[in-house]
Amino acid sequence: MSIEMSSTFGRIHIDTGVIATIAGGAAVECYGIVGMASKNQIKDGIAELLKKDNFTKGIVVRQGEEVHIDMYIVVSYGTKISEIAYNVQQKVRYTLNKTLGLQVDSVNIFVQGVRVTNV
Amino acid sequence: MTKNTIDVNTFQDMLIHGGSHLANNADTVDALNVFPVPDGDTGTNMNLTMSSGVQEAKRQDAAHAGKVATSFARGLLMGARGNSGVILSQLFRGFAKQLEKKESFHSEDVAAALQAGVDAAYKAVMKPVEGTILTVAKDAAKHAMNEKDKHSDVATFFASVVDAAQASLERTPSLLPVLKEVGVVDSGGQGLVIIYEGFLAALKGEALPENAYTKPTMKDLIKAEHHKSHQGFMRTEDITYGYCTEFMVKFEEDKLKKTPFDEEQYRDALADYGDSLLVVSDEDLVKVHVHTETPGDVLSLSQKYGNLINMKIENMREQHREAIKNDAPETNASTESETKEEKPFGFVTVAMGDGIAELFTSIGADVVIQGGQTMNPSTEALVEAIAQVPSETVFVVPNNSNIMMTAKQAAELSKKAVYVIPTKTVPQGLSAIMAFMPDKTVEQNEKHMTEAIKHVKSGQLTYAVRDTSIDGKAIQKGDFMGILESDIVIVNSDKQQAIQELIKEMVKEDDELLTLLIGEDVSDEEKQKVTEFIQNEFEHVELEIHRGGQPLYPFLLAVE
Repeated sequence: MSIEMSSTFGRIHIDTGVIATIAGGAAVECYGIVGMASKNQIKDGIAELLKKDNFTKGIVVRQGEEVHIDMYIVVSYGTKISEIAYNVQQKVRYTLNKTLGLQVDSVNIFVQGVRVTNV
Repeated sequence: MTKNTIDVNTFQDMLIHGGSHLANNADTVDALNVFPVPDGDTGTNMNLTMSSGVQEAKRQDAAHAGKVATSFARGLLMGARGNSGVILSQLFRGFAKQLEKKESFHSEDVAAALQAGVDAAYKAVMKPVEGTILTVAKDAAKHAMNEKDKHSDVATFFASVVDAAQASLERTPSLLPVLKEVGVVDSGGQGLVIIYEGFLAALKGEALPENAYTKPTMKDLIKAEHHKSHQGFMRTEDITYGYCTEFMVKFEEDKLKKTPFDEEQYRDALADYGDSLLVVSDEDLVKVHVHTETPGDVLSLSQKYGNLINMKIENMREQHREAIKNDAPETNASTESETKEEKPFGFVTVAMGDGIAELFTSIGADVVIQGGQTMNPSTEALVEAIAQVPSETVFVVPNNSNIMMTAKQAAELSKKAVYVIPTKTVPQGLSAIMAFMPDKTVEQNEKHMTEAIKHVKSGQLTYAVRDTSIDGKAIQKGDFMGILESDIVIVNSDKQQAIQELIKEMVKEDDELLTLLIGEDVSDEEKQKVTEFIQNEFEHVELEIHRGGQPLYPFLLAVE
């Protein structure tokens, strides 16, 4: 599936995979995220961290009239989770708008896990 | 007075000073905020986080500095706001963990705690971005670890840590391109330095100035925005939003009752009208800068909140046109080169006709000096043009054998590394610049570009200004001469026949591309005729036609 934009020279198709990759790239730069988790917990195991090259598995881009993005993330223990989720929303929305000119209507964050590390 | 321990009272004092110093300068930090999302709330977020931490720390009235640190960290965590707030809470979480059992701290405790904070903070991020608050904290901690045994006095020790943090902050623009582009340091990093400064002031027992930082003014920010947007378009036609609109809204209470002011919503609303948007507000005023095509709509929208004052609307297309006109080499070379972004290679070329100049610019020439046959630029003009290019390595593409010497002289006089590519004609110059490959070395490029000259055949059609005889051909004034490379190969009194013969002479079977540059005196009808002739006679050749606008030469041809 792809989204479409038109310019004076013709049309531009952007695959939803591209959107997911950009969104994922923006998200992992956010502080407090330790990784993306699979959306399919039962199938893929519980909150297993996705490797860098398939972290888009944890991102769903839904597109009807509007663009919605669902992101499945794992955060670091001892951080304020709500703030991290909010930061991810902001950053993803901003980055997509900046790189693709895409207006995202919602970025839904699903916190799938918390990773505990010894401090 | 030398003090080698931080007791609980001093530590509480440090936190309070750090918090209030940040509160006083939160606006400054906001104004710097361009990363990760340029929404100007880093200072506000850090301040809210910090004050929550300080509140908790104050509540703890134990005679134990370690416990105060723990409460402080808990307060930071509870009140963490925004990216920088969360990072701040992590830095002090590690910090507090290290110190929780200590009743008072020595320099080495502080150093170890700063380092532990950095370790904790880095653990909580998948892909740390350098050039941010993380980098500043890391560099400060590293310095602290190196210096911890060198000072018996904690204040002196911490002063050197603050210096290291400040130095690291100043390096952030070189680590994060977005900061360099706008010309600011990282906002989160700045916030951290401010907190450390507050700590230091408490250690020294000194009072802090209320506004230690001069906030980048709206003017500076507007300058940064304009700088960014000018980089964006080379041609006047490329400007989407034509009017630079600046104004202030003075809030009126009865209007605000009807439409309450929310800065974020307002900013979002304005964003629909254009770009380069800046919105700064306080209780009574909001300052706005926006590039838009419909300034009237923006003003009407803003009027809902109050009175409009200090309005200024400028037509940027007109300004841009003026700016391009002023781009001739003799005008303000120094200011131009200051605003252009530094790049590894640059080009100076010489050409006649605005169309050709545009063509050169479009393929990457930085400066096109108007000149050529009968109008050779001076060495000085070339030296100035080279100086104008925002690169230390400059290729000069003279496009005329008569300019070659001048170009070489200019190369010697210039302080930059200048390479003269021996192009004798405009088509050669175009091919040479097209052959340039940015990822190759200077030497490789010099070779490629010089090589490219050989692959193009250059033809010129001009007319005789007096009777003469060249190479045994009698030429009368007004005759058209077809020149291939440097030899006159065609003489004909009819322009159309002359160009057709020249094309026949030039285009061979294995040629693929014919580029035609139309001079200023050529009518549409003549152009049409030539085009048809080429299309009929040379079906295998791809034809490219550009308006060159050059005088004296009705047609310039390049065959490849």
